[in-house]
Amino acid sequence: MAFWTLYKRELNSYFQSAVAYIVLFVSALAQGLLFWWLTGQIRDANYKDQSVMQIFFNFPLLWMILFIQVPLITMRVFSEEFKLGTIEMLLTAPVTEWDVVLAKFFGSLTFFLVLWLPIVLDLTALQLFSNPEPPIYWSQIGMTALTITLVGGFYVSLGIFSSVLTKNQIIAGALCFVFIFGVFCISLQKWVAHLDSATLDRISYVSLLEHIQNAVLGIYDSRPVVLYVSVTAFMLLLTKSILEGRRLRS
Amino acid sequence: MIEVENLTKTYAGFRAVQGISFHVDKGEIVGFLGPNGAGKSTTMKVLAGYLPPTDGKISIAGFDVVTDSIEVRKRIGYMPENVPLYTDMRVNEFLSFRAELKKVARRKIKDRVESVKQLCSLKDVENKIIGTLSKGYRQRVGLADAMVHDPDLLILDEPTIGLDPNQIRAVRDLIKDLGKHHTILLSTHILSEVELTCGRVLVINHGRIEASDTPANLTKLVRGGGSIVLEVKAPSADVVSKIKALPDIEDVEITLPSEGEWTQARIFAKPGVDVRENIYGVVRKSDWPLRELSRVKATLEEAFVELTQD
Repeated sequence: MAFWTLYKRELNSYFQSAVAYIVLFVSALAQGLLFWWLTGQIRDANYKDQSVMQIFFNFPLLWMILFIQVPLITMRVFSEEFKLGTIEMLLTAPVTEWDVVLAKFFGSLTFFLVLWLPIVLDLTALQLFSNPEPPIYWSQIGMTALTITLVGGFYVSLGIFSSVLTKNQIIAGALCFVFIFGVFCISLQKWVAHLDSATLDRISYVSLLEHIQNAVLGIYDSRPVVLYVSVTAFMLLLTKSILEGRRLRS
Repeated sequence: MIEVENLTKTYAGFRAVQGISFHVDKGEIVGFLGPNGAGKSTTMKVLAGYLPPTDGKISIAGFDVVTDSIEVRKRIGYMPENVPLYTDMRVNEFLSFRAELKKVARRKIKDRVESVKQLCSLKDVENKIIGTLSKGYRQRVGLADAMVHDPDLLILDEPTIGLDPNQIRAVRDLIKDLGKHHTILLSTHILSEVELTCGRVLVINHGRIEASDTPANLTKLVRGGGSIVLEVKAPSADVVSKIKALPDIEDVEITLPSEGEWTQARIFAKPGVDVRENIYGVVRKSDWPLRELSRVKATLEEAFVELTQD
């Protein structure tokens, strides 16, 4: 019950801040432009081996939008409460630390998913204006959405963790950027570093780009699901412990 | 309502509160006095369940603050110092949010919010964004928040700080009114406020309780509860020696040595003894012309200074 109350408040606070609308506008624009440019390329090259969804979601640049989105969404969640002192008011109400951490996490994740809705519009538009109409594979769409949610959840948990570390939003945002960038760089090893195939194999287990490659083909793989759920849970546990610890120290 | 035994709170090696014990009964209004940094806010934060105690046992309404924290928090209305509020919310929205968070039954939320708005005179700003409100209004929103779930116990950390005299009076009346149905523990620097509202005062200094009594009794602690002012036409030395010779006199201070030939003295007697009659006897016997003989009651301010000054 306390969770729902806090979750609603968290989500409302996004839609009441100007920053949220700017982030929404900028990511819709970035995603839209990328989509428009890629479909143009596909048409000009008369590319037939892969679907539009495959090319679009496998394009590394698309995922770099996350570097901006997630820090901007999550940097304020705890930092602002510490700065304004409202954390004291919040934690003297009959709520547990878990209520607070989970409400902030799911609130941020929900807003993160809202930021990805414009892509649905882009794909729908393409579907409507294509001739002949391409077939729809729901398994591909479902798996892609699941992967975005899982990856988003993990990155948002990193952002929330960064935010609980400091009362300075800018530092929280920068930390979050560093964490996400670090995690994402694992995916880029394939192109950047000269590694033996055994290491590359191991890297592929934790590579976002590998996961999305399977997902857009509609392949369900339980390994990334377990991976993302467990690392996200771990980050949330850390966040909750630090929130308790801060209270003990302050 | 509140039972505190041996509460100690240490921050990074600094002992902010050093083994204090006190209790507050149901229906009392207790004032928490002490200089800045004495440990008032820390104690209140521990009581409200925000900070865990380093040592000691605290129970509120029969629940332990550490092990039954949620139960305790349901029964407390806590208003922190400086009243932190979500500045992006509207007053109505904020109070409903807080009521819901504090587990007020859904069908009662509207009534409760309405009644605390009435109590704290917030009707005319109910739709304003909290960030745009003045300090006085924010303070009242904080107070409304503390009361919205109709708690048994209110813990108010400096509820009148930063208010103008009219607002202070309004808050003081409100607290007095609330005291009829709630137990209240409040901290403040404004001593007249304590004298007017609180049934009992806890004086805390350097993390220790220095005194716990009614405001009237506390003032009695100050050098016999007051002094006597005597103004006569006589040499200062004569006045001192003759008055000091009387029984039960502790001290004589000359406050106005020689305005012409007049001498003003402040006389301190032993606690509970009225020496005015004897003084008059001396004045008459010496045949000093008399301009003033009056008793000055000690103020709580003097008691506070005496108890907390090192």
